[in-house]
Formats: sequence, C-alpha cells, structure tokens
Amino acid sequence: MTDLQIRNFSIIAHIDHGKSTLADRLLQATKAVSDREAKEQLLDSMDLERERGITIKASAVTVSHERAGESGPEPFMLNFIDTPGHVDFGYEVSRALKACEGALLVIDASQGVEAQTVVNAYLAIEQDLEIIPVLNKIDLPSARPDEIAMEVEQVLGLPAEDCIPVSAKTGQGIPELLDAICTKLPAPRAPKIKQARGLIFDAVYDDYRGVVIYVRVFDGRLRIGDKMRMMGLGRTYQITELGKYTPKPNKVKELGPGETGYLVAAIKTLGDVRVGDTITIDHDPAPEPLEGYAPPRQMVFCDLYPATTADKKGGDFEEMREAMGKLALNDSSFTYQTVHSEALGFGFRCGFLGLLHMDIVQERLEREFDLEVVQTAPTVPYKVDIRTKGGEVEEIEVHNPADLPDMSSVIDIKEPIARVEVMVPKQYIGDVMKLALDRRGIYKNQTFVSETRDLLTFEIPLAELIFDFYDKLKGITAGYGTMDYEVSEYRKDQLVKVDVLINGEPVEALSLITHRDKAEQRGRTLLVRLRKQIPRHKFEIPLQAAIGGKIIARETIKGFRKDVTAKCYGGDFTRKRKLLEKQRKGKERMKNIGSVSIPQEAFMAVLDTGE
Amino acid sequence: MLLSFPTAGGLAKQVPAWPERRVCRSVSNAHDIALTPTRQREPREVAHALRARPDPSRRPRSLYLHVPFCFHKCHYCDFYSIVDSRDRQAAFVDRLDREIQAIGALADQPPLRTIFVGGGTPTLLRPDLWERLAASLRTNLNLSNPDLEFTVECNPETATPELFDVLQGAGVNRLSFGAQSFNTAHLKTLERWHDPDSVPRALELAHAAGIRRVSLDLIYGIPGQTLDEALDDIERALALGVTHLSAYALTYEPGTAMTARRDRGEFAEPDEDLEADIYDAAVARLAEAGLGRYEVSNFARADHECRHNLAYWRQEAWLAAGPSASGHLHEPDGGSHRWKNVPRLDSYLRDDFEGLAPVIDYEAPDALRLVAERIMSGIRLAEGVDRIAILDAADRAEPGAAARLQAAEREPRERGWLLERDDRWVLSDAGFLFADGVARRFLGVLRKVGPG
Repeated sequence: MTDLQIRNFSIIAHIDHGKSTLADRLLQATKAVSDREAKEQLLDSMDLERERGITIKASAVTVSHERAGESGPEPFMLNFIDTPGHVDFGYEVSRALKACEGALLVIDASQGVEAQTVVNAYLAIEQDLEIIPVLNKIDLPSARPDEIAMEVEQVLGLPAEDCIPVSAKTGQGIPELLDAICTKLPAPRAPKIKQARGLIFDAVYDDYRGVVIYVRVFDGRLRIGDKMRMMGLGRTYQITELGKYTPKPNKVKELGPGETGYLVAAIKTLGDVRVGDTITIDHDPAPEPLEGYAPPRQMVFCDLYPATTADKKGGDFEEMREAMGKLALNDSSFTYQTVHSEALGFGFRCGFLGLLHMDIVQERLEREFDLEVVQTAPTVPYKVDIRTKGGEVEEIEVHNPADLPDMSSVIDIKEPIARVEVMVPKQYIGDVMKLALDRRGIYKNQTFVSETRDLLTFEIPLAELIFDFYDKLKGITAGYGTMDYEVSEYRKDQLVKVDVLINGEPVEALSLITHRDKAEQRGRTLLVRLRKQIPRHKFEIPLQAAIGGKIIARETIKGFRKDVTAKCYGGDFTRKRKLLEKQRKGKERMKNIGSVSIPQEAFMAVLDTGE
Repeated sequence: MLLSFPTAGGLAKQVPAWPERRVCRSVSNAHDIALTPTRQREPREVAHALRARPDPSRRPRSLYLHVPFCFHKCHYCDFYSIVDSRDRQAAFVDRLDREIQAIGALADQPPLRTIFVGGGTPTLLRPDLWERLAASLRTNLNLSNPDLEFTVECNPETATPELFDVLQGAGVNRLSFGAQSFNTAHLKTLERWHDPDSVPRALELAHAAGIRRVSLDLIYGIPGQTLDEALDDIERALALGVTHLSAYALTYEPGTAMTARRDRGEFAEPDEDLEADIYDAAVARLAEAGLGRYEVSNFARADHECRHNLAYWRQEAWLAAGPSASGHLHEPDGGSHRWKNVPRLDSYLRDDFEGLAPVIDYEAPDALRLVAERIMSGIRLAEGVDRIAILDAADRAEPGAAARLQAAEREPRERGWLLERDDRWVLSDAGFLFADGVARRFLGVLRKVGPG
C-alpha cells in the first residue's frame, strides 16, 4: 500500500456545467467503466441503480491510474468523492470536501463563472483544499476558454494559467487533467495518532445490507470484524464488510490512512448514524474525534398534505406517512413530523436544507410514490425570544407562523440571513440592486468578472429569498442572472405575525410572519386571493388581516345574489337532483370557519406557491 | 394509370358517411357523445309502465314528442339535435308513428290535456310530414279533450303560411318561438342564426293562421350584454303582445360549445350581480305588463301558463316519444318510472321493440326520492308545493322524514326565502333567486343515510 499514492478529490460545479459527464469521462479514461457504460451518467443515475439492484450511485468511487513518471509508470489510487445525492447544497458539498484534499472546479467554457461556482469555490477554499479549475465543453463553437480563465482569476483569484481546458464530451484534455490531479493535488496528510479515526461523510440506506457508511480514514486502520465505535453517538457495531466502489462494489479487508471506502455493519436505520461523526475502534479508541461538522440545518419548512381526503386521518395520509418514512431512510437531511391543520387536515411539517431540496422531495413523493401532495408556502425557521410566565426570557424556534405564541409575550423575532452571490450581466445591475433592496437586502460587494458581467454580493433575509427572488431575478435578467446563497447568521428585525380573520374568526393556517413594513401589502395580497377563492355565501363575509388585534387590511366577499338554475324541465329532474345533492355534499366537505365554508382549494390557492 | 392526388373534395367523399356522429362530436352534449349502443336497453320497463293502471288522477295526460332536426346547432343548446345531411325526415315520422301506435295500444286512454313538440327544430319537418304526424296522433291517442293544449316549438326563420295552416289544422294551438334576443350581436355570440326581424313576421303569420297563443323564449346574461340591452329585449317581446314569456339566464351546460368557449377564456365568468339585477328588473317590468311569474323563469297572463310544463313541475305523469324524449309514469302502489329514449337518430330508426324505442337512463325512483324531486321542481312554481301532502308522503316513505323536513324549513324561512301560505310552501319574491338553495336544504335531509 505504501508504494501507492492516494488522491482524494471532489468535483464541484454550477448546475449543467458538466460535472457528471466529466466524472464519467474520468472513470472511462481510467478504465473503471467500459465505453458502453460511460454513455450513461454513472454517478447519479437512479434508474440504473435500480436496474442493477446495487448502489452504484456511489458517494465515493476509487479508480487506479498510472502516471508516466521519469522512472516508469507510477501507480495512483484516485478517490472521487461525489457531492452526494442529487444537489449541490452548500452543506452537502462541504461535507464531501471535508474528506478531500483537492477539488476540481468545473466551469463551462461558454457560460463562464456562475454564482454557484463562486459559492462552491469559497467552500473549497474554506476547507483549505487545492483547487484545479477545469474549463469544460471547449469543443463547443461558443467556448471562450481564455476569457473564462480570466474570469476565474478575477473572481476567484486562481491563476488563469492553472485552468485546464477539457471536453468531457470528446475526451480532449482528460489525460492532462489526470496528470494534474496526481501532480497538483496534495497527498493525504500523514497519520497523527496510531488509533483509528475515520470520518463519516455520507450514509445511504440499502435494502439488502442496511446502512452503508462512507468513510474517509485519516488515522489507523479499520478491518473487517473490528468492533467499531461512533464517537459522537457512542454506538458500537461489528464491521461486516469494507469495500470500495470502482464503481462496482469491490470488497477489501481493511482501509488504511488516506483511504476512502464504504463500511457495512448491520446498522438498521439512518437515524443510527450521524454524518460527520468519527469512527474509531472500540477496544483501542482514539482520544479525540476528528473535527466533524454540525448536523445539517433545515432552513426551509413547509407542510405537505395529501391532496385528497385531507379531512380524515386515513387513506392517502397513511400512504404518505409510509412514503415519508422511506424518504427519510435515504435522505437524512430531510425531517418530517405529523401536523394537523384546521384547513387541510392531517399532513406533515417537513424540513429541508433549501428550496431545491424541497422541490426534489416533493417530486419524489409524486413520482416514486405516486402521491398527490398539497404544499404550503415555504417558511424559514425563526428564532423567537419570548417572556415565559415566570418572567425569564427563553429562545424558541418557530417553523410555522401558526406556532408563534401570542405577540404580547414575544420580545424579539430573529430570522436567518443569507449571503447571496448574484452573477449578473452589467446592463441588469441596476434592476438587480433594486430587487435586492426591495427584498430587504443589504448590498455588500461588487466584483468585476469580465467586461460583461459582475458579481454582486448581498445579505438578504432567507424568508425574502425563498419567496420569489429567484424567479424575479431570472425575469429581470432575461434568464442570464444566476445566484447562490449560504445562510450566514440570524438577525433581529421588525418582524410581525399577521393574522387573517375570516368573518371575525382568526384562521391560524393562513397567518404569516413578515416584516412590519411589508405587512400591509402582504396581508392585502393574501386577502385579495382569498376573496377570489372563497365562494359567495348567503351573507357578507369580511376578510381581515391584523397585527396583534389591529386591522391592517380588509376585503369583503359580498353575499351571493342568486342560487337558482334557469331551466328545469321533465327530462332534467334526475340530473338536477343529483347535482343539488352533490353540491350539498361538496358543501359538507368544506372547512367550516365559524359559519363560513371554505373549499380546500381556497387554502391551496393561498398557500401553494405554484400559482 | 394516372396517379391522382386527393383534392379537398375527393377526400370528403372518402370520409365514411356518418354525419350524425361527426355532428355529435363537434357540438352536441357530452352524454350523447359518450353513448354507445351497449348502453341502450330494451324498453321492457317502459312497456310495463305503460300497462300500469294507477288511479285515474295519476295516469298520463300529457305527451312530449321530440323532433331532433336542426339546420344548425346553437352554441348554448344541450338538447339532442342533429344537422341531418341525409333526408331522414320521412323515415323519422314513420318510426315516430310506430312508437305512438305502441304507446296508444299499451296506455290507458284518458283524453290528453297537453301535447308539446320540442326539439331540435320541430318546424323543420316538412308540412306533409306534419300532416302524417297529426294523423298518427289522432288515430292512436285520445285527443277528444276540447281544451287540449298543443304546443310546438318554432324557429322564427322556419315560419311559413303553409306550415302554420297545417299546424293549425293538426290542432296546434300554441307556438313557442325561440327568439333568445333581438340584438344581432348577442345572437351572434350565441351562434343563433336568425334575423331578429323574423320574430315579428312569424308572430303575424301565426296570428293569421289562427294560432292565438304564442310564447317567446329569451336568454339573458349573454357575454357582453348590459342590463339595458337585456331589458330592451323584454320591451321588444312585450311590444309583440305575447301572453307568455320564458326568460332564461344563460346556462353553460356541460359539453356545449358555449361552455368550451368560456373554458377557453373567450368570455368572462358570468356576472352574478348583473344577472340578478336583470332578473329583478325583468320580473318587475313583466308584472307591470300583466305577465306574472308562475315559475322561476316563466311569465304569463292569467290562464296563459304552459300547462304542459306545469304537469312536469307538479310531478304528474307524461308520455314521451322520439329520440332523447323523457317520460315519467306512475305505478298504482306509489312507485314510479323515469326513462329517456335513446338520443341517437340512427339507433332510434333501427331498433324497434314492438314500436317502442330503446331507452337509456331508466330508473324507478323510490318514494323518498319522489318527494325530494317534487319539492325540487314544485318549489320553483309561484303556487309552491302542498306542504301537508309532502310531509304526509315523506313520512309514508320513511318514518321520521317529515320531522326532518320540518326542521329543514326553518332556515330558509328565517332568511325570508320561504313562506308558508295556505298550507303550502312557496318562495317569497326574494326567495325565487335562491330556489336551489332552498331545495338543497330539503334534499339534504331526505338523502338516504349510509353508504352511497
């Protein structure tokens, strides 16, 4: 093993800049996969995974490569550590980076540096990784590798001449890139202690083997049969299998310092494993764990309800509960708990790492579990200082406006603030500034990228960001603006809870938290939408938005004027009677708030973001 | 051999000659399109019902005939009609004659009180065929009642002196004209193809032929129509001296072209406030002119009400013939039969069950359902429904039902929509616009508890 040099690295990129294609091409170039297999995107094809009944959506793939050295070929073991799962979340990227010494930063040679490129590069720099900028898609006629290399230097401070131009599609530049990986990226650090220490950087659930842990060994060795201990959780398990994905699973007897691989130990659920924890050997434990990382923070919350029969527990609800359990089994950063809404019945309050994560979970529920779900508007976790009955100040976390205690006991509401990078063509800078300021953003910085683009940095409350910022940004920049964000801190602001009253009755499911200055506008918008959705009743219905009892907006649904069919003749009676009975039943199915019947659709229309 | 390229005309000839179906698909209502021959059934129950002999007061004294031909399908219409490209009128009248014979042979023969010929466009039938139809009615049914009301629906464009003379000779004494509007733009919106001036002309012809009772149909709430324009239609109808008027709020029936156009966003959603304003103003104006509201959408001088339609609303029995015609007959034990003839001309012509037509949608409503429907349709009348008789029938159908009805009447009464007058439930002036709400209230407590 000692004669073998090891390189651990990740590939990070803006979406669609060719990360997966490049990974496949590297596997192919190192003969890890056949040319036929290389046609498919091996690292993240879920269908393929199912087809073979094994996990090849590996978080880490090990390949061997020989570098032509002065004294003959030098063998290298290359460990690709994929940013796991589906998305390039900051958190997930950083936990993958923790297991690496280097990163390939892939940039589309036509598109250039994008917001996500910048955020990912910062993450890699924070981890002290060596970065190799890779300019991809140079085969395209629109490719401008020289200009883009200048962008890389301008924005990221990486020398332009360090950029390696490649085409993952044609294979051009791939040998040079492999050499650079071997030459430029540092070898794993030497062991600091003799006891074993391995970092858990991912874990997935496998139907046959239980939890499969991905581990990067820093010190000592892990062997089959060892009783391992997870230092954070204090649990011990017998290691039954060790291996590496090449990308086919390839069992090994041990994993030594600098190596990356998988570990199976009859662990039944993902809940028993904490990504970021340190593995050591039970009978000879390390004195200190490795520097891990905090568990993932759910920064976006929303409620998901079954789209039908939400008024009683059962049917779709049970199916949905089962689906939630299965999802959580292989996505440890997704949380859920049962909730009951007066409006939508039984459902689940779900926590996600970000908006993209939320979309993916919803899509999986619909596609893989064939469930129709109603999604409420996403909210962020607020930290609220309240005065308890005893008089002390206590901080609580609120994931839904409805859970906010009475405003009289609230001292302060703090909200998550995101550091947002926006890459924007220069002609749209003014509009983007205006949008950011309108969303309570604070301008922080402007970086020259190229003659045509600038990188703007803002601090924007996450709540404003998840509302419609991205759509608006795309709209005002003709689709050219890109953004990425990272939650940086919690900050106190003039936040208030807006209650919605229908016919004088407060409806918790409709309440929202917003900035004082925006409360009136948000309240009014919501009331107007409600007015359109609630059918007329026999009487006039006032709709009000209020802050702590003070009315800030009002709309009225007029009482209906007519409820009669124009024609009713001999042949119509059966049809007509059935229609009336159906209408009557429909009315019974509506939610009754006081004497007002509100169709479920009204709640959906108000809460659902997908308008 | 010459290669021939199909031209537009050439292609048209290759299309299988099934014009009825093509018409159905493009314009007719959804349930017709969905109809396949497998859904139709033998009219066994109808034959049985025709033979039933309930007490004389509950025997059929009305007859509905359906003539399906039209030269164009109006966009709001959901009645069964076809634009017949083959001349099947004679075949149709032959078939109708056989059906009338069968009905005459099976049914009891008390003198009919009313006959109503609807469509389609019954006046599209050629005068000679009208004569044959009239002869069939005379031969097979009891038309001895000197007070027989015999109504034919009439498209004003089809009015000719010759036709009206034939109709008058056949015993027709009432014509119902589909005017819909006098405003060309609004007629266009409805895809109603007639010249508004043809209405007064047709009325004059009717008068000249000695047919004194005429009714006009109007539609209001047409997209783009204002309150003043709707009232102008009423004025023009009154100026023609009609003694009966039906004014219908435009209804978007499922499967009609009008509904499809609305769903495509061609029109704004109906303005409920405007429709209610038009209705209130029309009711007031017609009352002032002496035409009282005797049903939600029907207005007439005293004794000029449509007695045929009253029979429906009062849940009397009636006979039916022709494709898509619906009938209702009582059993001596209180049971009842409802059915609809097959709404397809080709099936109607082809399938003959000892004269009777194949049926769809046959049902035998139970006593409780009959009570529900009696309230539903009867409450639409100014005369209302006999409360004592209803409560009595309800309790006989299901003990305890009467008490539920009495509990249900409270809310509409408190709202001022429902009144009790001479032991009858009647709608108040304000209540007419809420007839469905009142009916729903009662129907809600008559629904069977349990599954279904």
